[in-house]
Amino acid sequence: MLARPGQTGAEFQTRKTKHETHSTSLHFGWTTTPRGLRGTEMNKAILSILGRDRPGIVAAVSRALFQQNCNIENVSQMMLQTEFAGIFIVSMPPGTSAEDLHHGICSRLAPLGLHVHTKPCESGEDHCTAGPCEPFVITTRGPDRKGLVADVSEVIARHGVNITHLQAVFKGGDDPGDNIMIYEVDVPTVVDQQALARDLRTQAEALKLEINIQHRNIFETLHRI
Amino acid sequence: MLTDREILSTLEMLKNENLDVRTVTLGINLLDCAGSDLNHVRRRIAERVMGLAGKLVPVCERVGQKYGIPVVNKRIAVSPIAVVGAALSPADLVEIARTLDAAAREVHVDFIGGFSALVEKGLARGDRSLIAAIPEALSATERVCASVNVASTRAGINMDAVLLLGQTIRRAAELTAGRDGAACTKLCIFANIPEDIPFMAGAYLGIGEADAVINVGVSGPGVVKKAIDRALGIRPNLDLGSLSELIKKTAYKVTRVGELIGREVAEQLGIAFGVVDLSLAPTPHVGDSVGEIFQSLGLLAIGVPGTTAALALLNDAVKKGGAFASSRVGGLSGAFIPVSEDLNISEAARNGHLCLEKLEAITSVCSVGLDMVAIPGDTSPETISAIIADEMAIGVINNKTTAARLIPVPGKAAGEHAYFGGLMGQSTILPVNNARGDNPFIRRGGFIPAPIHSLKN
Repeated sequence: MLARPGQTGAEFQTRKTKHETHSTSLHFGWTTTPRGLRGTEMNKAILSILGRDRPGIVAAVSRALFQQNCNIENVSQMMLQTEFAGIFIVSMPPGTSAEDLHHGICSRLAPLGLHVHTKPCESGEDHCTAGPCEPFVITTRGPDRKGLVADVSEVIARHGVNITHLQAVFKGGDDPGDNIMIYEVDVPTVVDQQALARDLRTQAEALKLEINIQHRNIFETLHRI
Repeated sequence: MLTDREILSTLEMLKNENLDVRTVTLGINLLDCAGSDLNHVRRRIAERVMGLAGKLVPVCERVGQKYGIPVVNKRIAVSPIAVVGAALSPADLVEIARTLDAAAREVHVDFIGGFSALVEKGLARGDRSLIAAIPEALSATERVCASVNVASTRAGINMDAVLLLGQTIRRAAELTAGRDGAACTKLCIFANIPEDIPFMAGAYLGIGEADAVINVGVSGPGVVKKAIDRALGIRPNLDLGSLSELIKKTAYKVTRVGELIGREVAEQLGIAFGVVDLSLAPTPHVGDSVGEIFQSLGLLAIGVPGTTAALALLNDAVKKGGAFASSRVGGLSGAFIPVSEDLNISEAARNGHLCLEKLEAITSVCSVGLDMVAIPGDTSPETISAIIADEMAIGVINNKTTAARLIPVPGKAAGEHAYFGGLMGQSTILPVNNARGDNPFIRRGGFIPAPIHSLKN
């Protein structure tokens, strides 16, 4: 369940960078560095930082990375309710492992109450952009309940469609307009869009959700020059 | 990444503010179907219309579904039938109307426009035949729309045609007396008619157009009204300059939707994209009304003092926002004030806030003109012609399009109720000054010359 009924302003977001992390450990976890990634062809790591939000977190993290001689390549940061969540992709100096970086960063950020997870970036085929896709936005509105995201995303996954961004704005209560899930997805052109739409609508109906499936261009057309 | 605000406001526009594409209109050139053999002309017209428009409705549905934006109406506009059928008799032209009606039904479009003549500088043989055929053509068919351009800023007003059309309108009404004169809801008399209107009843494909073209009419009065209401909810003292800016931004959004859908439909049909018509087009539903915008702006109802100024502001802001949003703007592009098609305007007429004279005044600052105005059934043909002449003069002198779509409702008097049904709506019958009186001015006929500012070269 995303939020308890009656809870206000609850929301969550997921956003994929080029390679998705599959961490279940949020607390000082690290993953073994794959062979061959030390040193030369690619030496990048991805870090997720979690902690109670307050001024100075980004400054502390970037300072710690600088002190480890790392270069920040991508950052995504957001606030969910009172919590800070940041994801950093950094390039590390030759010879440094993700494990080394993790220990170095943790020693600086743990005293600030920040939780760090580190893993090396992997090379290989990019499953997210394997073929031509069309971007669609799926929105659902309806009563909050357990397994909502699991049930909808299961249909999306079954059709081989990749979720690129997921947002939920749950204010609780009975007003469907107060409980909204937004899935941005890449639908491969080989996928049968009619079948996807049909299955999603069937699932939404079972969950008593109102669902909209629209090409992303409509949102950009309406709101952006 | 889209922001949740962008997504939620889009859904809000779709769900609660009636954002849609009002019409995708396929223009079909029929000039090469002309001939003097009726059956040959009929066969060629049917083949052409069904060949080009066969996929129009399914493609519009598919594109609408892809973006979650309904395309409410799919329509066809053809070359002026007075030209295509210039060699045919009025009875033959009624048969052409039946052919168009059957073709429209076959491809599932609700209206087909172009039973039209351009007579601002004189009546040719084909024009006379077409005007003579109009009453029967419109009463014998369901989907055919007619228009006659009787005036232009460059040519002046053809008062012979205006006089003739007063009689034509009365006759068309009488032939559909059982339906409150509904044939007249499908007949527009124009000054400065654009060649690319996607809206009915004035749509036809201009003589200067290509073989086929897709033109789009946007809507969005509900979106504009809600945007005003929201802004005033937050800042009740917003001044008119700020409201104009707000309407402009909203019109931009509405127009962008129309252009996106139109271009994709055109691409999928393999037909060139023509124009977006920026008009705010209401329907007879609450929340989809131009009249409600006046109330949101602070007027008691459309028609009370202040209406002309408010409409001038609205029309200008819609054009500015729309022009920025689209690379191809055309058609009528302004706010419509069709009395019976807009529930709120119809109410204003019923409550006595809106009279024929005020309607005429406000047409000087909006697109179109006296649109869907029900008048007493015994209004004389001469008086109908005189009302048309007044409306044409506004268009000719102000170098803009004006039109008259008047319905003399048979057997009913001012204050009674006329019901046309569907999109055509319903309305209280407005009183007409000197409705049955003599009018020697109109009977003089001839031409009212073009104004001095037509001499531009």
